[in-house]
Amino acid sequence: MTVMLPEIGHVLLIISTVIALLSASIPLIGVYRNNAYLLGCSPILFRALFFAVFTSLLCLVYCFVTDDFSVAYVANHSNSQLALGYKIAAVWGSHEGSMLFWVFAIALWGAIISYRLSITDCTHANSNDRYQDALYFARLLAILSLVILGFNLFLLFTSNPFARLLPDFPIEGRDLNPILQDIGLILHPPMLFLGYVGLTVCFAAALASLLGGKFNTRQVNHLQPWVLFAWIFLTAGNAFGSWWAYNELGWGGWWFWDPVENASFIPWLVATALVHSVILTKRSQGFKITTLLLCLLAFSLCLLGSFLVRSGIVQSVHAFASDPTRGMSILCLLVLFVSAALLIFALKAHTFRQDVSFALFSKETLLLLGIILLVVAAFSVLLGTFYPLLYELLGLGTLSVGAPYFNAIFVPLTFLLVLLMGIAPLAQWQKASKAQLKPLLIPGILVLALTLWISFQAATGDHLFLMLGTAAALWLLVCLLLTLMAALGFYKQTSKNNPASINANNTVNHLSKRRLVAMLIAHFGVAITITGATAVSFFEQEALLRMGPGQGKPLAGYVLVYESTENVDTNSFTAIQANISIRDAGQDERVLAYVTPQRQTFKSNGMEMSHAGIDHGLWRDIYVSMGLQLSDNEYLIRISYKPLASWIWLGALFMILGGAIAAWPACRLGYLSDVETLDVKTLDSTTNTQPQESIA
Amino acid sequence: MNASFRSPYLSFLMGLLVITLLLGAAIFLFMAQERSITTVSYQQQAMDISKVLRCPMATNQNLFESQAPIAHELKAQIFTMLEQGQSQDEIIHFMVQRYGEKIRYQPELKGSTLALWFGPLLFLLLGVGICLALTKRSAPRPTL
Repeated sequence: MTVMLPEIGHVLLIISTVIALLSASIPLIGVYRNNAYLLGCSPILFRALFFAVFTSLLCLVYCFVTDDFSVAYVANHSNSQLALGYKIAAVWGSHEGSMLFWVFAIALWGAIISYRLSITDCTHANSNDRYQDALYFARLLAILSLVILGFNLFLLFTSNPFARLLPDFPIEGRDLNPILQDIGLILHPPMLFLGYVGLTVCFAAALASLLGGKFNTRQVNHLQPWVLFAWIFLTAGNAFGSWWAYNELGWGGWWFWDPVENASFIPWLVATALVHSVILTKRSQGFKITTLLLCLLAFSLCLLGSFLVRSGIVQSVHAFASDPTRGMSILCLLVLFVSAALLIFALKAHTFRQDVSFALFSKETLLLLGIILLVVAAFSVLLGTFYPLLYELLGLGTLSVGAPYFNAIFVPLTFLLVLLMGIAPLAQWQKASKAQLKPLLIPGILVLALTLWISFQAATGDHLFLMLGTAAALWLLVCLLLTLMAALGFYKQTSKNNPASINANNTVNHLSKRRLVAMLIAHFGVAITITGATAVSFFEQEALLRMGPGQGKPLAGYVLVYESTENVDTNSFTAIQANISIRDAGQDERVLAYVTPQRQTFKSNGMEMSHAGIDHGLWRDIYVSMGLQLSDNEYLIRISYKPLASWIWLGALFMILGGAIAAWPACRLGYLSDVETLDVKTLDSTTNTQPQESIA
Repeated sequence: MNASFRSPYLSFLMGLLVITLLLGAAIFLFMAQERSITTVSYQQQAMDISKVLRCPMATNQNLFESQAPIAHELKAQIFTMLEQGQSQDEIIHFMVQRYGEKIRYQPELKGSTLALWFGPLLFLLLGVGICLALTKRSAPRPTL
């Protein structure tokens, strides 16, 4: 029985493909024939689909755990010496398994939606609403099934994870790529996939709305938590990836603008735009076309990113499971999904046009500008990523587009975005008064003065970028503080003037406060990340030198002493390790910490990697990496003093926290009752008119 | 043009922007001048240059980070050239001559890279244009 498990997994994958076909077609037929019986099949079919995909994934996990090297995917990516945790992580460690994991995550999400749908069915009082919702969810699940169908066919025909190596199978596997044997990289891909899956659900939801010709408040309320979850996971995925690169790759860089990094960063930018666009739609009942288009765009960019990463069409340091033959199939999927989605959009979008009245200077305009800037940033990064490829295809020669270009484009765009981020929470909906911006004048001048002072402190580097970064971070912090003060003042005032109304609208107020806090925390995270990135880029002190036992080097108030060289032998690699102590530069040279950079050689494939030694701190990181051996006992050692480096990821944590706070109540209330549909007007007038009332 | 364009808020922002830009330009020039006088150490300069050049061996890594033997040779070459008194531009030019356009991470501005350098600006203008069009179409209610 267990010998046949790969075949069972394979058969289950085929079964799930057939169910996906049914689950895509039957509810759609039900929708057009107006047949409630067919519609009712949708949740059951989807759960069956989920069950089939889940069992199929379990079969693959079992093959990994029992070291079944007759399965090609296992033989290529696992080894009997590998720790159990890594064996399981190897399931999504390469192309085939990660695609299966992606399909599984879509099915899981869809199953959760169908489950919650069956719970909330009884709470809907209005039967018409209930019918409308049933149609909407049937369409949504049908589109999700279509996506799964596409992915499944792709898996079965071009990259079957259950393919066997019979009869001559190896007795030992080839081992998981050593780069992936790290906790950061075990968590990073699933985070990104969950983010991508969130955007897949948004894509399906947008298409369901387009097909239904309706995008009402209820649907926006359903959409909002999905968008937020996708955004949270994408933020976490990007942050994990960058944290891992900083710790493991031994570059000391935390973002390289590599095509593979861009592939996950571009969807994040669009998802951020989408988060804000949903707020806009929810508040004003307009901008529906913008939100729907962003949903479609976000998923298309995810697919484009997957194409970029998996086809091996671009050169990347993170080259991962690339195979040009797969590229074509992914491209076909991409073209199919995107063209179908855009066709539906083109046919239906005009019916969603809704005039919203707002002045040129209003929160609507500021938010819209912000969304547009984010999309512009996403497309600019996309342009830079694809330019070398297009350049070569057009026969113009070869070309590299790297960090200097992306920084030159991205930093000014971020600066403009942050200017808007500062003002937008202070402005009013529909028509903001100029008076409420008066308090920004003095802080603005202060920010300017501080920026100039800080940029004088830097010894080297590009001063324009330094100033932009500093000004952005300071401006954002000042504006957040003003927003917070205004909000506190407002709540105090209303509770004093009219305590009864607060009690009456308790839920409403509770919700609006939560949202405000979520926004403040997430935006604060952005300020922290910008501060960290700016400080690391412009105030870093580094030295590249040859070092051997007994030698020391003073740097930025510390003395680093090379104590000894050591040989390390672990299960998976042998390494040469330098023991370096970090000492206070004072008289006594007290030892503060030890760092142990390594040069690792992996036993399974002889691959060499350098593992950095880092002493993390809130205010500074001390980063040491070990290079070539220069003489019998001397090595090339790189030492960096990186001020505020950990703030980059601290900021990401704040962003995730903010996102989680915003998503939590919205997702519960959105399903359980219609509180949110009632409070749209009241709610936002409480959050957003405060500045004027308290300041002006 | 819409009356809101002449609002004090926008003129304040404009003023702020102009002041920032002027001061920034002045300081930038001042710093650039000062930098050429107090020469930053050759090693620092060599590091800066090696960060904008791509290693011909490794896949998508700059010279500074690459561990390939050729990267070490080229870093030494940069250092020697700096000692001989050559400028950053001359060194980069030399490297491009030797290894082709691909070694440069920041592509040169020329006919075939116009789209690369001005594309983002075009996107921006397009985006802001769309935004303004949307705003105009939805004129504010007079009662507000």
